Formats: sequence, structure tokens, C-alpha cells
Amino acid sequence: MNTLDEHSLTLPNNVEFIPQLAAFIEEVTESHGIAPSVTMSINLALEEAVVNVMNYAYPEGSFGEIDISVSFSDGSITFTIKDSGKPFDPTKVSVPDTSLSAEERPIGGLGIYLVRELMDEVSYCYENNHNILTLKKKIQ
Amino acid sequence: MNTTIKEVNGELYAVLDGRLDTAAAAQTEKEIQPLFNSEGKNVVLDCNALQYISSSGLRLFLGVLKSVKAKGAHVYITGMSDDIRNVFAMTGFTNLFEFR
Repeated sequence: MNTLDEHSLTLPNNVEFIPQLAAFIEEVTESHGIAPSVTMSINLALEEAVVNVMNYAYPEGSFGEIDISVSFSDGSITFTIKDSGKPFDPTKVSVPDTSLSAEERPIGGLGIYLVRELMDEVSYCYENNHNILTLKKKIQ
Repeated sequence: MNTTIKEVNGELYAVLDGRLDTAAAAQTEKEIQPLFNSEGKNVVLDCNALQYISSSGLRLFLGVLKSVKAKGAHVYITGMSDDIRNVFAMTGFTNLFEFR
């Protein structure tokens, strides 16, 4: 047993590594008996948040890393996503209009929205040249 | 992720099998190209074996819908799980598609 109950994963800025993120989340949530539908919500939120960093944080064609750590406390699961790319606050992104028709609906722009819808708390800070995004979800 | 395209009774079916995450989206986009040349045929997105979808997959669904609707045809979704339906509800996609 991991008495600290903290886990972490580091990925390069390449979306081909998203299945590794999913495997990591499955492992962590399964070991805590989290329901499959909650796991799917967590998986989706994390994928969207991490893909956003992979695609936009670092200059195109350059290598960068994303650190993902997870902890449990007070009946909640908390993920921290950290990168050293350009400052970007996803909590400031405008909300898409989900009532538009198919013709009016722009392609894209849903990723960050999903993160905010699926998690209970989303907070951002920029510290020591790092973006730090914290995602929290109640599991009890 | 594996996608099979077939024609049944004049309708184009895309059978989506697996996890449609961002890593799989580029390959899936190639595999569904026949749906963009549907020539006015209705399209059915068979989601019975679709386990997961992220915004990269939703983007593909919306692209197919825009293309098929512009030709005056319909896009139907069949066999979607409750979890994926929930993602559709959250993003307003439930109102865009027809369900069978």
C-alpha cells in the first residue's frame, strides 16, 4: 500500500501518449473503488486539460513535458497538471454557446468547457514559470 | 479504435469500435472519409461498441453532420451508452443529432 496515497505521471507534449494517461487514471480510480461512470468523467476532463497543454503550451515542434499528479482527501480526488510552457489560464476561456444549430455551431472549442462541466472545482495559478491547473472532483 | 464503413439499404453505416480519444482521432478521421462523400445518402453512426469519446471525437461527429446535412440527408446515431449520451447532453450535441 502507498501510505502517502499520491501518484504521478509525466508525459511528453504528444497526444499519442493520451492512452497512457487513461491507463494511469484507470489504475488510480480502480484502486479506490471509484464507479466506472465517474472514472469516465475524470478521464475525459483530464484528457481535455492535458491535450490542451500538449497542443498549445510549447512552441510547435519543440519538446515539453506535462506533470500530472493525483491525491485523495476529504472524499475528493484532486489532479494537478503542471507545465513550463507559456502562461495560459483555462478558467478564463469563454463558454461556448451549446444551443446553436448544427449549421451555426463552430467546430471545436469544447475541451476546456468539458473540463469545467465535469469537475467540481477548477483552479489555476502561475508560479515559478509553471502553469498549475488543479482539478477536483467529489467521489463520495 | 477501429472504424468500419458499410452500406446497408442505401444508408452509409460507420461502425465505431473502441475509444475515440485524441490519439485515435486522426486515424478515425481518415477512416470516415467516405461519409463526407455520401452523395445525399443518410448516415448512421453505430456507437454500440464505442466506449469513450472526447472533444476530438465530437469534432468529427459535428464535421460529418455539417457535411451530410448540407446535402439534404440525415445523420442518425444508434446504440450510444448512457455515459457517452451524457457527454452529448452536456455539450448540446443531443439536440443536433437524430437518435435511433
